[in-house]
Amino acid sequence: MTRLLFRLAFAGMRTRLVACVLTLAVAGGAVSTIVLTLEVGASGQDPWRQTFDAANGAHVLAFAPSRSDARAVARIPGVTEHGEPTPVATATLRRDSDDDPVQLAGLVSPTVVNQPIVTEGAEPGPTGIMLERSLADALGIDVGTTVEIVANGRSTDLPVLGTAVLPSQSRYPRSTPGLAWVAPAMLERIEPDRSRWRWIEAVRLDDPTQAAAFTQQVAAERSPSADPAEALFFVTWQDQRDEALREAQPIQLILTMFTLLLLVVGFTVVGILVGARVTDQRREIAVLKAAGLTPRQIGVVFAIESLALGAGAAILGFGLGVLLAPQLAEPTAGTMVVAPTVVANPWHLLVAAGVVIPILSVSAFAAARRSTRSTRQALTDAGAAPPSNRLTRLVGRSHLPVSAEVGLKQLLARGRRPLLLGGAIALTGASVVVALSLQATLDAQPSGQASDIPDELPLLVYSLDAVLLVITTTTVVAVAYIMVRERVRDFGVLKAVGLTPRQLTTVLLSGYAVIAAAASLLSVPAGVGLYLALAEMASGTTEDAVVAPWRSLALVPVATLLVVMAASSIPARAAARIPVADALRYE
Amino acid sequence: MTPVLEARSLAKTYESRGTKVSGLRTVDLVVERGEFVAVMGPSGCGKSTLLNLLAGLDRPSAGEVWLAGQRIDTLSETALARLRRRKVGFVFQFFNLVPSLTAAENVELPLLLSGQRRRKARRSARELLGELGLADQHAAAPAHLSGGQQQRVAVARALANRPDIVLADEPTGNLDSVAARQVLGLLRRARDQGQTLLLVSHDASVAAAADRVITMRDGLIASESQLDVGRQVSGILAIDEPT
Repeated sequence: MTRLLFRLAFAGMRTRLVACVLTLAVAGGAVSTIVLTLEVGASGQDPWRQTFDAANGAHVLAFAPSRSDARAVARIPGVTEHGEPTPVATATLRRDSDDDPVQLAGLVSPTVVNQPIVTEGAEPGPTGIMLERSLADALGIDVGTTVEIVANGRSTDLPVLGTAVLPSQSRYPRSTPGLAWVAPAMLERIEPDRSRWRWIEAVRLDDPTQAAAFTQQVAAERSPSADPAEALFFVTWQDQRDEALREAQPIQLILTMFTLLLLVVGFTVVGILVGARVTDQRREIAVLKAAGLTPRQIGVVFAIESLALGAGAAILGFGLGVLLAPQLAEPTAGTMVVAPTVVANPWHLLVAAGVVIPILSVSAFAAARRSTRSTRQALTDAGAAPPSNRLTRLVGRSHLPVSAEVGLKQLLARGRRPLLLGGAIALTGASVVVALSLQATLDAQPSGQASDIPDELPLLVYSLDAVLLVITTTTVVAVAYIMVRERVRDFGVLKAVGLTPRQLTTVLLSGYAVIAAAASLLSVPAGVGLYLALAEMASGTTEDAVVAPWRSLALVPVATLLVVMAASSIPARAAARIPVADALRYE
Repeated sequence: MTPVLEARSLAKTYESRGTKVSGLRTVDLVVERGEFVAVMGPSGCGKSTLLNLLAGLDRPSAGEVWLAGQRIDTLSETALARLRRRKVGFVFQFFNLVPSLTAAENVELPLLLSGQRRRKARRSARELLGELGLADQHAAAPAHLSGGQQQRVAVARALANRPDIVLADEPTGNLDSVAARQVLGLLRRARDQGQTLLLVSHDASVAAAADRVITMRDGLIASESQLDVGRQVSGILAIDEPT
């Protein structure tokens, strides 16, 4: 019996190529976004480790109010290596009319622990300055140029002699203020008031896993101070790593949102396609039922096919996700010595497949069971729901042209399908609203001010929107073709009764126009809500989130309507061209 | 007087995988106004092909079709559709009601298409359904009607616009004997009211209700006979009024 079910599941897959490709695309998209979410974070881990090793990174960084406090940390048992405490002072980096706060560190040579890794040029020397690389990149400052540093009301011009990265410093401007190094004597000159200095002691421990315990021990040994200026702060190596990799967080958030959208759209698309296939193969299913297959077993046949497609999609999506992850993790590379790497963790494949395949299979099984529970006669009349609901009566009382009225009634007779299709269209529209709002938020920032949103993010959102748009548009075309196929005979009858080809096109298009109009209007508030929820999740507030201007938002329903109309007009025109005699013979 | 329907040297050839199959070979036919013509013959003899060509549902390979003095085989799809809605009514073997419309809406459809106002079309459709014994079923979905009831709705739809001719393709072929007699009774009554009918059937008892029977064989008209109307009424067919 199992063999028979498998044979039935794979029989005729080639004839349902569009449906299979659509399912593959949706499921593959969902898998790749899940894999990307997991891999983007992971692909920066190895580069960070390499950076940490190259810098002889600190297991604990202690920020102390005085040099003696900093030195005291280095004397605590468990410390295996430490350098001279590094003095730091806050200053302002002035460019034209823009001021950016910067932490100036006095570079004590030779730095033993947490030493800056020079990426371009050289160390600052006695008269120059070396900028942290992401700071230099964000502000567009090249090595060889001169910058103005202002502290305590005094201005000093310094030549930029180099750039460097440090594992404890995450990307500017998400991490502010930025970091720059000067010689200790130069720091003294820029900020002579030592009471404004703080001191950093970088230590390595014999047991790095005990970094947190070490900081608690130091804090316990020191009497707590009410004055924040007198307080001692610590950053463990785990904190440094998490902070550096947090760069991928907005990308992960967006990917998670699109994963959810794709899963919902995937569930919808599979439900529609399976429902349509059951209608299309009603005779075959009736024969199978007559031969003794239960509705559950028929449901299993459809679930097996979706399972196979889901498995194929998982492999494709995993490959795509693994290859794209390092590109998306590029923002993290600004603070590391090497670019993000391919991880290809098999667990990520299992997680993604474990989410997507059951959803596809359950969707297929449920749609098939729902459709095959009915009797043979009901299967023959599949989709022709009695036109008795309130909406249908309302359409009947409307003064629409007769072709539009027939189209709407045919649509309402389809039950769940228009709802599912409308949902998929609304979600796609909502994702476009998210992209527009993200762009508006970027545009709203004062010119010249660096953004803490990774450059790749808008591009990523637009790309994922495009994927969703292609999938939804293809679904609209596929569903319209399915409807034409299911209704060929009806169309023949309508033409025989006197509907012109143009009126027949209207019959089909009017239904889609209503679905698209309702879905696209819903997509605007849904998209705004989704964007604000994302902003809240990403930064804990919606204060900085700018919703796209109403002119852009107004274009979303119009564009959605046009895209849906264009997509459904292809099958509608094909329906209008079917010869009447052939349509009437069609079964 | 101009015949309602005329076929001149009508032929239809189908092409299937490079092989040409002749569906209809040089048929000449004239149907006069008010006539009830039955076309008989075995399966595959070309009856339905002839009907489709006469109605402009299919294009002939050769020959001409004239409907109410107008040549229709050269018309565009749109012009043909407009012509059908005014001048031709159809009854199909498998009823072919639009499943998403109610019985009354199916009957209203040709009326609305020919430009009648909605309220008037609704009233006409209900009156027609009432005459055919379906007053209580006007709001029913086709799927909730019996085969006989569905075919009566289809007859009502075909007659709604009072077309020049009603074409029926095996209208009783999918009905039990009682329902078949009811449907045939309706067609006969329409003919008595001056409606022209062309009916395709392979059932001799159905054809016996006609004024003229044309027998087809291998795509050609094999024979043609005029029937005695009085004989039919008194003998072979006892036509039931719809209940």
